[in-house]
Amino acid sequence: MSVNTAAMTEKVDWRKYFTWNTDHKVIGIQYLVTTFFFFIVGGALAMLVRTELGQPGTDLLDGVEYNRFLTNHGSVMIFLWIIPVLAGFGNYLIPLMIGARDMAFPNLNALSFWLIPPAGVLMIASFFVGSAESGWTAYVPLSVTAPLGQTLWAVSVIILGVSSLLGAINFVTTTLTMRAEGMGFWDLPLFVWGMLATALMILVATPMLTAGLILIALDRVAGTLFFDVAAGGDPVFWQNIFWFYSHPAVYIMILPGMGIISEIFPVFSRKPIFGYKAIAISSMAISVLGLTVWAHHMFTSGMNPALRIPYMITSMIIAVPTGIKIFSWLGTIWDGKLRFTTPMLFALGFISMFLIGGITGIFLASIPVDLHVHDTYFVVAHLHFVLFGGSVSAVYAGLYYWFPKITGRKYDERLGKVHFWMNFIGTNLSYLPMFLAGLLGMPRRVVDYAPEFTGVNQLATVGAYLLGLSTLPFLYNAIVSWARGPRAESNPWRALTLEWTTSSPPPEHNFDERPVMKIWPYSYGEVEVESEATGPVASAGD
Amino acid sequence: MKERNLFAIIVLSLVLIAVGYLVATSVDLSWLMPAQASERAVLVDRLFRFMMGIATVVFLIVEGALIYAVLRFRQKPGDESDARPVHGNNTLEIVWTLIPAVIVAVIGVYSYRVLTEVERVPDDPLVVRVISQQFSWRFEYPESGVSANVLHLPVDRPVQFQIESRDVIHSFWVPEFRVKRDATPGQIDELVLTPSQIGRYPIRCAELCGPGHAAMVSEVIVESEEDFQAWIEAGGVEVLDAGKGVPAGDKLPDDPLAAGRVVFTKYGCGACHTLDEAKTGGIVGPSLSDIGRVAAERLQGVNAVDYVRSSIVETDAFVVDGYPSGVMPNDFGERMTPEELDVLVEYLLSQ
Repeated sequence: MSVNTAAMTEKVDWRKYFTWNTDHKVIGIQYLVTTFFFFIVGGALAMLVRTELGQPGTDLLDGVEYNRFLTNHGSVMIFLWIIPVLAGFGNYLIPLMIGARDMAFPNLNALSFWLIPPAGVLMIASFFVGSAESGWTAYVPLSVTAPLGQTLWAVSVIILGVSSLLGAINFVTTTLTMRAEGMGFWDLPLFVWGMLATALMILVATPMLTAGLILIALDRVAGTLFFDVAAGGDPVFWQNIFWFYSHPAVYIMILPGMGIISEIFPVFSRKPIFGYKAIAISSMAISVLGLTVWAHHMFTSGMNPALRIPYMITSMIIAVPTGIKIFSWLGTIWDGKLRFTTPMLFALGFISMFLIGGITGIFLASIPVDLHVHDTYFVVAHLHFVLFGGSVSAVYAGLYYWFPKITGRKYDERLGKVHFWMNFIGTNLSYLPMFLAGLLGMPRRVVDYAPEFTGVNQLATVGAYLLGLSTLPFLYNAIVSWARGPRAESNPWRALTLEWTTSSPPPEHNFDERPVMKIWPYSYGEVEVESEATGPVASAGD
Repeated sequence: MKERNLFAIIVLSLVLIAVGYLVATSVDLSWLMPAQASERAVLVDRLFRFMMGIATVVFLIVEGALIYAVLRFRQKPGDESDARPVHGNNTLEIVWTLIPAVIVAVIGVYSYRVLTEVERVPDDPLVVRVISQQFSWRFEYPESGVSANVLHLPVDRPVQFQIESRDVIHSFWVPEFRVKRDATPGQIDELVLTPSQIGRYPIRCAELCGPGHAAMVSEVIVESEEDFQAWIEAGGVEVLDAGKGVPAGDKLPDDPLAAGRVVFTKYGCGACHTLDEAKTGGIVGPSLSDIGRVAAERLQGVNAVDYVRSSIVETDAFVVDGYPSGVMPNDFGERMTPEELDVLVEYLLSQ
């Protein structure tokens, strides 16, 4: 019996987290902590934006400042928080879940992390030279004439795109070539399926945005005229480039999250996942279909009117694989023996809120309705239900679920639940009123609004403050538990995926013996999952 | 037991269908949308209601199942055993793949039909050119040569907008008409609709266009054919005396201050500049509320008249610290008549 004692006696050398380190677990933690810092930055920007919108008029920020804050809020949240934090989970978990020693290219992996801090510094530094102020969408020609900070912004996003690409290459290679003996594709944990689908999308879509941003940067600094109308440039061309990446980016931000909660439901329902293959295939279907829907962001632009129809159809079809997932999760908890731990609560919250984001997506795909609600607060509400109610819920669920594995400590359940309820109420309070604002006629990205929108905006601002406060119990819980929480066993949740067969935290080499896949990861109710006292369950090599 | 389940499912399905039907047809949803001021709005709202009906049913099924499961299937105290393993159910999985597919197919077809209906180009529409620039709207009526910065439309007559931009992308949106269309530099975007209800409705820019985006608002006045013709014949000049409604006319009022205020309003200066006298609150450019004093003192060797006049006709002649340069349109010198420019300068200097 090799309960790994190394981790319990060895003093953690915190300095390794600040250096070039090729251990995927160190890199995973570097990703998670760094990106959470940017989450706080993006959140602080959101607090300022919501404070300004707490009443009509321009009290706190003027038009220029407001545009800078909203641009950086969106850019930081998307490029420096959600996309990289999910890459952080992928880094930490994929090798452990497939029983590998590390990622396929450890040095490349370290590089993909170390590109993030300079990119983040560039983006924040842009505040001091006249920040980007044309939204995270950077529509031309507005973004071509914006101040110097827009160039820094573009360079920052280019670097982050490269980081994302390098990570994706690593994820795909690792998953394809380094699985444990006996682990076929239909034995992959669903989180790994989600990351695989995501990485494939990144490989196809990200180069497009990166190339497009290089064109914008050249227009700005080298005098090229790619987007200059007077010289024959076409502003709609940029929209095609941008959305070819940035709509798939929504799936890049949600598929890993769907993977995370697909791990959590079976464990806390004590039941196999319902429709394993359907969930895995629907991830791949979303990844392929998701590449064909981008122009639904351009129904009001000057695109060819006839071409709008196919984009409407593909956008609506996405509802089918998404529905399959939601129903499969319901099938998983149905007739289970549910344990309402913090990760389970966040996973349930994911379904209930992501559903609203999904349904309203169909409204936006319907061209006649979209021509009314496009570019309004309806869209702001929709995307926050998908990305905050969905992705961020999944990230929190994952952080709590793997906290014992990553830190070797237990977090405080009571604080976790306080955090969940503040987050759940805050999300709904903040974003539900925005649907109404948009339908009634409030455009997005405005520093000021007509007095009739005061009520809905006040509700949204109160909800946003609650969301801001909700990070406090989380941070307190995470920091204090990491430092002095009770020791966690190797498998506190009695889960069946391979990462739980090694110690918490895992040794540098991950597994003491080369793992062999013997038990399918969702065989709850079919195998005896031994409790901690007797050690790991599905590990191998005996 | 099985039969009882089947019975429950049938009853539940009927109840849900009834709820969906009621939402789609009779529940009052008017609070969700602004007034219906175009024929298009009626069709769009009907489609929206239909989708709300379906959305309500889907929402109730998923949230209902979730809440039921949370209440019904919680772990019994002390029960550490696993649940009965079920890996799937082919029939169920086929059903929940097919039903959503059918639903989105129906919504897709319905949306397509509404789309072709609302975008059919009518015979002989009233043509209005919509010219957008940071941060104002201008409307030109090619048939009569009239130009204004408040949009007047006759009720029940189809109108075709030809939308263009002088600088960055804007988006012409009238919520009460249920439609918007981007104004993209380098191209003319067309939009057709038929106003169906007399009234005044806001025009808002829906595409982020710079610091004054939120202030890029105007108004559409839908009026009877007679009122519209009278307005056109009067030359379309919008005369707003702080809301008192001085009669419209080609000629400026005799009182130079009133004339200046008319010009100030006509060219949309208030979208970007605060001016207490004209009751405007723009924030993009500096406040003009005491420009008469400021203009005289601000620069050595430049007298007040030159300062104000140059600032109007020559973009960025003098940019005030803290305000963006290159934002103010540079064609006021060409668009204003010499008389208009004179009264505007005089008006501003009196502040």
